[in-house]
Amino acid sequence: MTNIIDPIAEIDESRVADQDVVIGKSRIIFRRFMRNRTAVAGLFIFLALFLFSIFGGFLTPWDKETLDPFNIGMPPSPDHLLGTTQAGIDLMALIVDGTRTSILIGLIVGGLSVLISAVYGCTMAFFGGKVDATMLFILEALIMMPAILVVAVATSGSGGLKNLPSWLLLVIVLLFFSWMGTARLVRSLSMSLMQRDYVKAAKYMGVPSRRIVWRHLVPNIGSLLVLDFTRGITGAILAEVAFSFIGIGIKLPDVSLGVLIGQATGQVSSFPWMFWVPLTVMFLLTGSLAMMNDGLRDAFDPSSSSVGRAKRTKPQTAKKITK
Amino acid sequence: MSTNTTPAERLRDAGLYAPGDAVLSVRDLNVRFNSENGVVHAVRGVDFDLMPGKTLGIVGESGSGKSVTSMAIMGLLPETADITGSVRYKGKELLGLSDKAMCKHRGSDIAMVFQDPLSSLTPVYTVGHQIIEALTVHNPTMTKQAKEARAVDLLRMVGIPSPKDRLKAFPHEFSGGMRQRVMIAIAIANDPRVLIADEPTTALDVTIQAQVLEVLHTAQEETGAAVVMITHDLGVVAGMADDIMVMYAGKPVETGTVEDIYYNPRMPYTLGLLGAVPRVDSSDKQSLVPIEGTPPNLAQPVIGCSFAARCPMVSDACLHGEPELLAVPGVQGQTLGHKAACIKADELSGDADAHKIFQAPPKPVSKFDGVARLERAKVLELKDVKKHFPLLKGALIKKRIGTVKAVDGLSFDIREGECVSIVGESGCGKTTTLLEIMEFHPDQMGEVVIGGVSNKAATDRKTTMAMRKEMQMVFQDPTGALDPRFTVYEVLAEPLENLGMPKAAIRKRIMELMKLVGLQPDHVNRFPNQFSGGQRQRIGIARALAVNPKLVVLDEPVSALDVSVQAGVINLLDKLRAELGLSYLMVAHDLSVVRHISDRVAVMYLGKIVETGDVDDVFDNPRHPYTRALLSAIPVPDPNLERTRERIILQGDLPSPLDAPKGCNFATRCPVFAALPAGKQEKCLTLEPPLASEGAQDFACFYPDGELDADMLVVHA
Amino acid sequence: MLKYLMKRSGIYLIMIFLTTSAGYFLAVSSLKPAVLEQEKIPRPTPEQVAASFRGLGLDPDKNAWERYVEWLGGIVTKWDWGRSPNGAYVNAEFADRVLVSTRLFIASIILTLIIGVALGVYSAARQYKFQDRVITSYSYLVHILPAPIAYFLVQLGAISINETVGQRIFFVTGISTPGIDPGWPAFVDLVAHYAVPTFAMTIFGWAGYQIAQRQYLLDNVNADFVRTARAKGLTRNQAITRHALRVSFIPVAQSIAFTIPAIFTGGFFAEAIFAWPGIGLWSIQSIGLQDVNVATATLAYGSVIFAIGAILADFATTLVDPRVRVQ
Repeated sequence: MTNIIDPIAEIDESRVADQDVVIGKSRIIFRRFMRNRTAVAGLFIFLALFLFSIFGGFLTPWDKETLDPFNIGMPPSPDHLLGTTQAGIDLMALIVDGTRTSILIGLIVGGLSVLISAVYGCTMAFFGGKVDATMLFILEALIMMPAILVVAVATSGSGGLKNLPSWLLLVIVLLFFSWMGTARLVRSLSMSLMQRDYVKAAKYMGVPSRRIVWRHLVPNIGSLLVLDFTRGITGAILAEVAFSFIGIGIKLPDVSLGVLIGQATGQVSSFPWMFWVPLTVMFLLTGSLAMMNDGLRDAFDPSSSSVGRAKRTKPQTAKKITK
Repeated sequence: MSTNTTPAERLRDAGLYAPGDAVLSVRDLNVRFNSENGVVHAVRGVDFDLMPGKTLGIVGESGSGKSVTSMAIMGLLPETADITGSVRYKGKELLGLSDKAMCKHRGSDIAMVFQDPLSSLTPVYTVGHQIIEALTVHNPTMTKQAKEARAVDLLRMVGIPSPKDRLKAFPHEFSGGMRQRVMIAIAIANDPRVLIADEPTTALDVTIQAQVLEVLHTAQEETGAAVVMITHDLGVVAGMADDIMVMYAGKPVETGTVEDIYYNPRMPYTLGLLGAVPRVDSSDKQSLVPIEGTPPNLAQPVIGCSFAARCPMVSDACLHGEPELLAVPGVQGQTLGHKAACIKADELSGDADAHKIFQAPPKPVSKFDGVARLERAKVLELKDVKKHFPLLKGALIKKRIGTVKAVDGLSFDIREGECVSIVGESGCGKTTTLLEIMEFHPDQMGEVVIGGVSNKAATDRKTTMAMRKEMQMVFQDPTGALDPRFTVYEVLAEPLENLGMPKAAIRKRIMELMKLVGLQPDHVNRFPNQFSGGQRQRIGIARALAVNPKLVVLDEPVSALDVSVQAGVINLLDKLRAELGLSYLMVAHDLSVVRHISDRVAVMYLGKIVETGDVDDVFDNPRHPYTRALLSAIPVPDPNLERTRERIILQGDLPSPLDAPKGCNFATRCPVFAALPAGKQEKCLTLEPPLASEGAQDFACFYPDGELDADMLVVHA
Repeated sequence: MLKYLMKRSGIYLIMIFLTTSAGYFLAVSSLKPAVLEQEKIPRPTPEQVAASFRGLGLDPDKNAWERYVEWLGGIVTKWDWGRSPNGAYVNAEFADRVLVSTRLFIASIILTLIIGVALGVYSAARQYKFQDRVITSYSYLVHILPAPIAYFLVQLGAISINETVGQRIFFVTGISTPGIDPGWPAFVDLVAHYAVPTFAMTIFGWAGYQIAQRQYLLDNVNADFVRTARAKGLTRNQAITRHALRVSFIPVAQSIAFTIPAIFTGGFFAEAIFAWPGIGLWSIQSIGLQDVNVATATLAYGSVIFAIGAILADFATTLVDPRVRVQ
């Protein structure tokens, strides 16, 4: 660049450059996420529910085993903030417990299924050929199985699986059926990434495969995985509610939001709070996750509109000539 | 904006001086878009008159507003665009017409051919359906038979063989060049008075480009339409256009007849552009004219001359008020008059030397220049390298139905300090050759020797690493070659870290590299997307040079860059070769660039080298008919030459390597073969011509310099 | 084309075999009908139970592999899918169940498809306008609502309408009223039973199609070929409906076929909530009754439906997309 550069523009440029040093990539993503109000609200609601599921027990002196013989099937009152069941159990205590179960199922299934799909998908893409074909066949066969029947068999059977707590059983079955879609995505994404010029460049520099996968592939698949993690949580929570609702998921004495909603369907008109309160909690939970997911997608997607502002190139006119 | 008259006044003037016989009159056309970064003023006051049957070339780089202008004329811009000014077709105002009213003109009075033929046809309808649709819209009473007959006529006119059967074919069954012919057929279906062609050949190979330009020429002759030809390539319009409008930053900066523009440019930008393109017909190896910097961001108001920031002749006066497009004194034009938007237009009269004005660097001298080729060491040697792909068919159980010989027995070498280029149409195997060299694996067919290390010996990591240090690659797409998540520092550090260099040394080396490729060292912490295309390519070059290789493989290093930026990168490559004593192996489809930068050239056709030798020998005296056709397909930015020269138009596309003929690969398209008597043809069909030395170069043809078939020769008188 | 379809069918047949076999082993090892027999009064002795099960081919003393071979043998030689613990033949009830399920879903499948695609096109045409925002937000809302709860809410709504009117207009459960007069009353009864489940499945079903159709169409409205069509002289709307819509329908056609299995599982919840004795309800009940053979048979049915869906998807794609037709 032969032109003489304006000193002010110079300073401006170095400031931009300095910022780049200070701002890590994760922080840029964090900033972009925080700029999305809906997403932040979602995060806030989710965290609140999470804390509630852990420390909510302190909000009520009752627990989910103790009957209150003086308050049976009572609507919300100062004694029982969310009312009691027809057996006289404090609903707040049940909701705290149920929310915890639901979040736990969501986190475990969401997290592990992302992990499984990443490993499975990358393996397929990396080895290709026969390995890929066989693994794809297994994957498609699994997609073909009606998950719901397997859930029902596993949780209702009286065989060896019966010894496990029902929530764990549900986690295992949900996990079994939740990773295939993402695994396929990971596979096609890593396959296309391996064709990118910058991956080729690294290869031609003699960078070992392991290093290429770690430095070029993983960060680029990373955003997909994070997105899928939140999506997986939502999916698992919804599946738990759906299954437990019709009575094939979580079984008493375990309590989950689905169980609470399902139990209350019989008496919606006589004990409406028993139905609407857990339903609302479920909505807050899945809704907050959906809101977060939206923000995460924007934060990761390099083509999203919020990127334009985050990574703004220096305006061309800043460069002036003094001659 | 800093014009002396208001748009309203200019419009009124426009009505006064618009020639009544112009088929298309554009006055003070302005287009603004809303974008993330604010309002972009993409077109800023375009005026022109298009006379019946004439051709206007609009020349400009990406972002100059040339395509937006054409879309505004067609009324195809999104509703959100703010369009002002006037567009008159035969005196009738088109701007402000509703979509429905505009439809009466689109496709019948004014038609358009677009850039990308691959995506411009609807994939789910037959070609016939799409042509007939254009007829139906404007001729509702036409019978089905008449429309079909017309569609067949159109396909024949644009040179599609057996048009009747092809009517039922789907677009995906056509090659890119064929699809562009179909696009032209659709455009001329209703005998338009104005035909707008927006970069119609940019996505195509040179041989196909020549065919399509020829079809456009025929189409214009048949219909008598006036043509607006939009392009970034000064060569393409040189032979076709009557008038030229050069656009920069949304504004016409110079207009005039082709002769005015090519032989007497009065705007520094035009001058620079003409100097920035290398010439395929000249062995002159002086450096190209670099235009530093990038066009202004049109989201911000333009202060002063839009080109000032890149202009070597800039003065304070240039920064005050944008110069008007004014008649160049002393020259009287016929239609547009020669006009330039530069306050220094006078200073450029006559024999202005772009090299001097733009301070083109002197031609770099390499230490190897004085050494005879055979005395220099071999950097790379290929011995009978082959790459055959099995062609498979079947969804799950795959059957081998044939072999694609992508590279079929290639042997050549590269000496120290020289640049060897491989040229040919896409699909000829040139990129596969590069990849084969880069793969460097003992299981390959044939031997690749790099810096004395053979691929057959590359069994352990130490050997391969030694080879990797000798040879590096620069990719075609500067954006795709840089990991978007890496800073420039990380990008450049990767090869060095891989060598196990200590941190401090890496830092020092990166600073050196940045200076070497002409980037500011304090930009190392930026991400690739904060750089322009040309700068990104410089980063790619810096990365390739990081480990001090002897050989750099260049895969189309400038084809993704704008013309004005290209020159700077080519000059840089030239300089680096001389200063560092590098050798290059380059693949490029732009033969002008090849001629400028290379010492030697190899012409490939269907996996084989058909002609090779010193670049000047091959380009000045091509012996193989394919080389002759290839060179003749390149348009030259010289109107007089372009109008008179004889050009060879090859028939058809590159055949699929699967059904490669038994004898000479090229016989199916060969202009010499076609002119041969049947007795002599026999030899071409049965025997494969060997690559043999004769005269200054090697070539593989039984009948070099043979007479060419008259059907494949065209001269535009 | 036919050859290709045959080959695909062959592959799916293998997959169905594998999934069904896996399902059988899972069912055999976890479902123990003997446990339920113990609750009968008078309580039968274990020997009696075993003897009666042996007669039904459900011998609890055999191991899983032996029973699998026996069960598979029955299917292969006599197309006999076995018997329930109460002695009923699986084959006998299967057809009725499939018929009930199909009757329940057919109307909503068609409605869902038409409404979903139409709304997708409508909302794409009005991108970011009020109508688009309402329609698309609704679709996203449906995504965070589990199907059975959604159906239950519709049921509640229907009940409250009945209560408000003071007369039973809608049946919220069941398939028909027993002993109804044929003719007009039977038809009214049919509609009254159909209305609620069909309504529920439709309004919660179209969301997926709407979002997909909207997205694919938006991907295509600014495509180069639409611009070409406009340059010919078609209006923007004509160009979009004649060119973009057709192309955007390719992936939708694929997804339509693939949603058939999803409808099977969705319908599973619908049958449970609305108490229609279809395949889905049968399978849940069978599992409650520890009925290995029915559970496996319904699982096989699910796999078959999936395979049919996938093959239909292939077929639909070749129908709308000439590019894949060549092979």
